[in-house]
Amino acid sequence: MAKVSVASLALAGLLFTGTLSAHHSPSAVFDMTKPFVLKGTLTKVDWVNPHINIFIDAAGADGSAEAWKFESNPPSWFRHVGMGRADFAKFIGQTVTAGGMRARDGSHYGYMRKFTFPDGSSIELDNGGGGEAKP
Amino acid sequence: MMNRMLIVIVAGMLVTSVSAQQKPAQGGASSVRRDADGHPDLSGNWTYAIDLAPAVLKKSADGKVTTTVIDQSARHRAVENIPGARPWTKTPSYKPELQAKVADLAAHESKVDRVFYCGRPGVPRIGSPRRIIQLPGELIFLYEEISGDVYRIIPTDGRKHHVDANPSFYGDAVGHWEGDTLVVETTNFVDETWFGEDGYFHSDAMRVIERFWRVGKNLAYQVTVDDPKVLTAPWTSFAHLITPSDRPLEESPICREDDGHRLQNLDHHLQR
Repeated sequence: MAKVSVASLALAGLLFTGTLSAHHSPSAVFDMTKPFVLKGTLTKVDWVNPHINIFIDAAGADGSAEAWKFESNPPSWFRHVGMGRADFAKFIGQTVTAGGMRARDGSHYGYMRKFTFPDGSSIELDNGGGGEAKP
Repeated sequence: MMNRMLIVIVAGMLVTSVSAQQKPAQGGASSVRRDADGHPDLSGNWTYAIDLAPAVLKKSADGKVTTTVIDQSARHRAVENIPGARPWTKTPSYKPELQAKVADLAAHESKVDRVFYCGRPGVPRIGSPRRIIQLPGELIFLYEEISGDVYRIIPTDGRKHHVDANPSFYGDAVGHWEGDTLVVETTNFVDETWFGEDGYFHSDAMRVIERFWRVGKNLAYQVTVDDPKVLTAPWTSFAHLITPSDRPLEESPICREDDGHRLQNLDHHLQR
């Protein structure tokens, strides 16, 4: 088990600045300056390229149900960090807290940032800022 | 720092790539495994060669935080001083009358690049194979590719190009050995692909030369593109140093890009 290495983190920052997954930048679709959080029921996980999609039913401001969709990195990315569809799908039907950046077109569509699951575990994607507004 | 918060940096691949950059000449072709004909054996699984997000994954469970980073050095990081690499230039040299077209395509990549919309990247944009199977007289290249997993068969028994093959995205390949370097020449392409994401369109006359050689345990890969209809000279890109992979191949999930109608600007980024 490796120790925390500040140098490694700094190096990672250098190596990974400037490129992102898939082909459009998140900033082309999502307003990366407007984070939001909602709580709802995870209903579906689409493990597709070029972005996986997570579907969540949440209560709207007036109490009516809203169907939300969250986009994230491609399946190959999750594979490389040791996560698969099952890591999300096992929570289908359960309540999750989903944080992300909202689509610029105002639809119920978000760019996944942090999900917290009912067992207390969470995953968070940190793009470090550098990769979110290319070119 | 929070008590009992354990942060683990899972960066084995990163460390591997950094080590490779610092001392790429370790090993050498003389120490690699060879096939029955005496050629270096290129067989094996190799690192995924498509850009992966630089995002860091922080996973929290049972009071432990695990941070995982992604290595993408095989794709875009030019490793200097790779033994056997040819001189390279950053950009191809288009004919003057075509340079504006290239710039326009590059600027509108997210609108006009077929690869954005799950199209086939073709050769050489698909990159290096995820798996190589080296057999007497031919090599099999296997790729994990989101537009559909791809195979290529590279004869090395002296066969010539097919004269009656139809143009295709991955073209018609023949290979031969120049010393310890596998040289793959591919021709007969459709003209629908780009050979680089920066609007590098080509004609049906494109000829692609891919060179593969071993550098110790790693695989070196370098591409030269020639297209006399659009380029003023053949273009050689930088060499990639690709590390072995212990990850088995996996079918690529279907590709459905439905963000096209949501794009609010032309922001895009390097992919391949």
